[in-house]
Amino acid sequence: MAIAEQKLTSVSPATASSGSFPWRTWLATVDHKKIGIIYIVSAFVFFLLGGIEAMLMRVQLGTPNNTFLSADVYNQLFTMHATTMIFLMVMPMNVGIGNYVVPLMIGARDMAFPRLNALSIWLFLGGGLLLYLSFLTGGAPNGGWFAYAPLTQVQYSPTAGMDYWILGLGLTGIASIAGALNFIVTVLNMRAPGMSINRMPLFVWMNLVVSFIIIFAFPTFTVGSIQLLFDRQFGAAFFNPAQGGDAVLWQHLFWFFGHPEVYILILPVMGMISEILPVFSRKPIFGYSFVAFSGVGIGFLGFIVWAHHMFGVGMGPMANAFFAAASMVIAIPTGVKIFNWIATMWAGDVRLTTAMLYAIGFISMFIIGGISGITLASPPIDLQQTDTYYVVAHLHYVLFGGSILGLFAGAFYWFPKMTGRLLNERIGKIQFWLMMISFNITFFPMHIVGTEGMPRRIYTYEAGMGWDMWNLIETIGTFLLAFSVLIFIYNVLSSLRNGEVASNDPWDAATLEWTMPSPPPSYNFLHIPVVNSRRPLWDAKYPHAAGDDHHGPSSAPSQVRYEYTDEETEGAKDIHMPSLTFSPMIFSGGLTVASLGFIYINKDILGLPTRVAALGFILIGIVMVSIAIRGWILDSRKDSPYLSQHH
Amino acid sequence: MRKEARKRPIPLLVLVLSCAAMLAGCANLPATTLYTYGDHATRVLDLLTPVFWMAVGVFVIVQGALVYTVIRFRSKQASAPVPTQIHGNTKIEIIWTIAPAFILLVIAVMTFRTQAANSYQPPEAMKIRAIAHQWWFEFQYDDGKIVTASDLYIPVGQSVQIQLEAADVMHNFWIPKLAGKTYMIPGKTNYLAFKATESGIFRAFCAEFCGESHGNMRFRVIALDPAEFAQWKTNYATTPAATNGTAQALGLTGDAARGAAIFADPKKQCAACHIIEGTTAKGKIGPNLTHYGNRLTIAAGVLPYTTDNLAQWLHDPASIKPGNLMGRVIKKGMLKDQEVADLVAYLDGMKFAVNMPAEK
Amino acid sequence: MSATSHAHDEAGQAPLVGSLGVDSRKLGLWAFIGSETLFFTALITTHLIFYARTKADLAAKGMLEHMDPKLYLGIDLTTILAAILLASSLTMVLALAATKSKEWPKFRFWLLATIVLGSAFVLGQVYEFTHLYHEGLKLAPQYVYEGETVKSLFGVTFFVMTGFHGLHVTLGVVWLIAVYFKVRRFAASPENPMDVELVGLYWHFVDLVWVAIFTLVYLI
Repeated sequence: MAIAEQKLTSVSPATASSGSFPWRTWLATVDHKKIGIIYIVSAFVFFLLGGIEAMLMRVQLGTPNNTFLSADVYNQLFTMHATTMIFLMVMPMNVGIGNYVVPLMIGARDMAFPRLNALSIWLFLGGGLLLYLSFLTGGAPNGGWFAYAPLTQVQYSPTAGMDYWILGLGLTGIASIAGALNFIVTVLNMRAPGMSINRMPLFVWMNLVVSFIIIFAFPTFTVGSIQLLFDRQFGAAFFNPAQGGDAVLWQHLFWFFGHPEVYILILPVMGMISEILPVFSRKPIFGYSFVAFSGVGIGFLGFIVWAHHMFGVGMGPMANAFFAAASMVIAIPTGVKIFNWIATMWAGDVRLTTAMLYAIGFISMFIIGGISGITLASPPIDLQQTDTYYVVAHLHYVLFGGSILGLFAGAFYWFPKMTGRLLNERIGKIQFWLMMISFNITFFPMHIVGTEGMPRRIYTYEAGMGWDMWNLIETIGTFLLAFSVLIFIYNVLSSLRNGEVASNDPWDAATLEWTMPSPPPSYNFLHIPVVNSRRPLWDAKYPHAAGDDHHGPSSAPSQVRYEYTDEETEGAKDIHMPSLTFSPMIFSGGLTVASLGFIYINKDILGLPTRVAALGFILIGIVMVSIAIRGWILDSRKDSPYLSQHH
Repeated sequence: MRKEARKRPIPLLVLVLSCAAMLAGCANLPATTLYTYGDHATRVLDLLTPVFWMAVGVFVIVQGALVYTVIRFRSKQASAPVPTQIHGNTKIEIIWTIAPAFILLVIAVMTFRTQAANSYQPPEAMKIRAIAHQWWFEFQYDDGKIVTASDLYIPVGQSVQIQLEAADVMHNFWIPKLAGKTYMIPGKTNYLAFKATESGIFRAFCAEFCGESHGNMRFRVIALDPAEFAQWKTNYATTPAATNGTAQALGLTGDAARGAAIFADPKKQCAACHIIEGTTAKGKIGPNLTHYGNRLTIAAGVLPYTTDNLAQWLHDPASIKPGNLMGRVIKKGMLKDQEVADLVAYLDGMKFAVNMPAEK
Repeated sequence: MSATSHAHDEAGQAPLVGSLGVDSRKLGLWAFIGSETLFFTALITTHLIFYARTKADLAAKGMLEHMDPKLYLGIDLTTILAAILLASSLTMVLALAATKSKEWPKFRFWLLATIVLGSAFVLGQVYEFTHLYHEGLKLAPQYVYEGETVKSLFGVTFFVMTGFHGLHVTLGVVWLIAVYFKVRRFAASPENPMDVELVGLYWHFVDLVWVAIFTLVYLI
């Protein structure tokens, strides 16, 4: 490939990583690429924490009547495992990759609101740290990740754990909504000339859909958790039936958010797969519009299926039938995606790189998770399978076999763009096969033990139920899985030092991010590209194989350039990018401190001193937020596009 | 690249092994949903079976297409020509949008039929009230005239309707071999009707996470022939006679009469929480212990019923069932060994003969 | 056009007008308002569900006539509050119009009027809450009416719903004050009209939410 040999004039990774670590440029950054990397690294740390929690649980369940963990610690671990993996791992990992890649894909210099973007990352980290602080302050949340009422009422869950859960997730929730607004505006308003909606890469499409899901799904969760907080702190009794509240109302509020949340976790990954499969098949995606609109369809349907999590609560056969039918309908757009992916590879030149293997692994495992989902959509079958390990198997096939394998595909695919070095393919492939095998060893038997009657969320079980062998196999699988993650860490660390240096376009890809140096300069594009097709880079490289039969032949090739003269690069100094600022970090620090204070405002732990300290924390938080707002306004004036206009 | 492509059979091997494992999983295990003895669970199994085979069919076709595509079209040379750029085919797209809809329609129709049958509440059904507590089940017959816990006796061949309630948090009522789950929700009453088709002892669980000892919240269902069941009910309604026998527990000989005195002693607090019909024990917090000697398990399914296990439980309830209320009152060592043995003798003495069916 | 100047034209974080032809901040605010609509829908729905239950309970006991918790809610005060908030929307519109025609003294007058009216609403709500509290409607799952205690979540759902609306109004007032000072400090700044338009958009939304609450909770 000619492109691979092209001369690069921008910063090479070697010079970028020399010298001491520039803390300031990271902590005060508003660069979407740096923010993306902070997201990715912190999400990966939370992935390891969630994984350690999973391993502890698997050790406990490896043998019947085990006493390795106490019941209470086990309950904290499974609550935190799910909370971590969903809110602190898959969501921020999607956001992180999206943050890095989406502006590059649409030809933008940054997100629409760079400071808001910085606020999102620090709020997410504040929320995550608050959640984990609970382990040190008398007990982590222990009510399960869907926190069913009234178990979360203060009389049944007296530690502060659930308060940490509410406020920690509250902070990450604000971060998510702010991030989603940012993505919506960025995608709708920051596209390069010619990048019409129907030319956007599918990863951008899915990020747009997910952002809309987030802004419409999160508010009900926010309302539910505010009400729960009032129950716990001020005796409000929204969800306390003993005082006139309603336990089922919580489930409605939670799942109206909780089910769309599942699509928040999987759709961006489906977008990644839709980018990776065409590149390594050297073909365009099969049925672009069907793939894009099936994503939109899943997004819409996701809002009318929430009560399929509640078939057993006694809503009546009519309501159950409605939610069952709607849930089954979701299988149709999901199936469309899978068929289109396979058709994309059909008659292609399928290059089995590690990224591609992970993408194929994603489809393969997602098929299993999708099929087990169909049985769960049928209320009578669901009532046998729900709350058993069958559900645990299903959700891990969708979220690990789906989201996480897909994220590994994305990691191998975009790592060279982000770091300037390629991950080692040999080690990557070994890791892929180990992970695929150990994933199935860990989670496939869960279908079986679930069918054999093992309820989920039990900290121990009797011998002689026929579950012992499967549980031991699952535990062994978990350790193999953990080992495959260690291989990945080794691969990342060694490739960062000694990996093959990545060219602009190491995969012979099609989208705009591959026109830039790896890693791209802070301003991304020296010239904002002009886009005339769905695959601007591909069409520039292969004019004879260009074109897009949904649009007629693209007579005018896209204006993308991947080679600049030194003189031009020199001119980049004049590109105005928003300045470094600590305001977003101070703002989220203030909210985190105030939240911590709020947890203890009504707790009778040490009497008055606790309350005074709690009030102090809230005040400090408010002061920090005020300082940050002032700084923010001044920063925004400094960078205002209205004021930097030259006429 | 070729080498990796050849490795593709590994997942196939895994799949074959998994299928073998699935078949191995089809043994009649204590709580399996695949061997049913109740109409409700049987209808679910009759629905699951065709859906399962359809799912297997879809799996084989789609997974097969995926694997075949990858193997057939894997890149065979480094500088292969650019393949034909196919952007899509609307006709094919429409076909594979509509085809799955037909399969789903079939599943939906079967689903709704089963659901209608399973949600039907026969008016002639025998009514039993089940109340879930953290972490045990209470059962009431005949408008609360008979109250028992942890063992649910039902007649074979007659529909029973369980009125499901919860005293504290949410629980989930599940007898895998007889019927699917229904939530037990505080402030709301749900109903579950089913019919046992064979006599037997069946495992049952709380399936919804309900707090610290959720993993220890189980019960047994004993389905008796109608005549046996009627006899059981008559016997249960009879106030147990005062016993004065003895029993062996942990190497000590307990005396039932002494045990009765300990149980009634306000300082020991037993009677503050438990009811034993015909005595002064009238506490309503814990399970009703009338005819306790008939129980199949101790502490809601945690330990099999033996005098030694009962002694262990009385000795230190918190170590056997973390978080339970009795463990907060009866601390380890509060009852002397001899007192434990006496209580065991007393409780074990209150029983009558039941012709127990086999565990299924 | 040289490479450098081309780059410069495209510079900055938010172009005045993006691919959609709308200011980015305005687009973001519209999306945020969409999100907030669901937030208030959930709060209002919770209130209506529990109020319907309270009414059914009271009706079953034949107590609805004289124990309906709605009897707490005086229409007089809230009608004044609604009028104040509606008037503030009008002054907001006038303030924006003044910005666009660059009549700064007029702008300052109308924006200050909006701030005063908004603050008056918040104070009125504080008064209403205190009054209700003394009457026996509290943030508790029961209320006392004419010496009789009724188990109901009316107080809880009412205070949480209207309280969060009040919080939004308060934040709106803070935003208005910030804009007031910013415009006063940088009177000639070309971004002023958009700054005012944005806070106005939010202000009208908060106003509309009050119309919804007033209609669904107080009137019907």
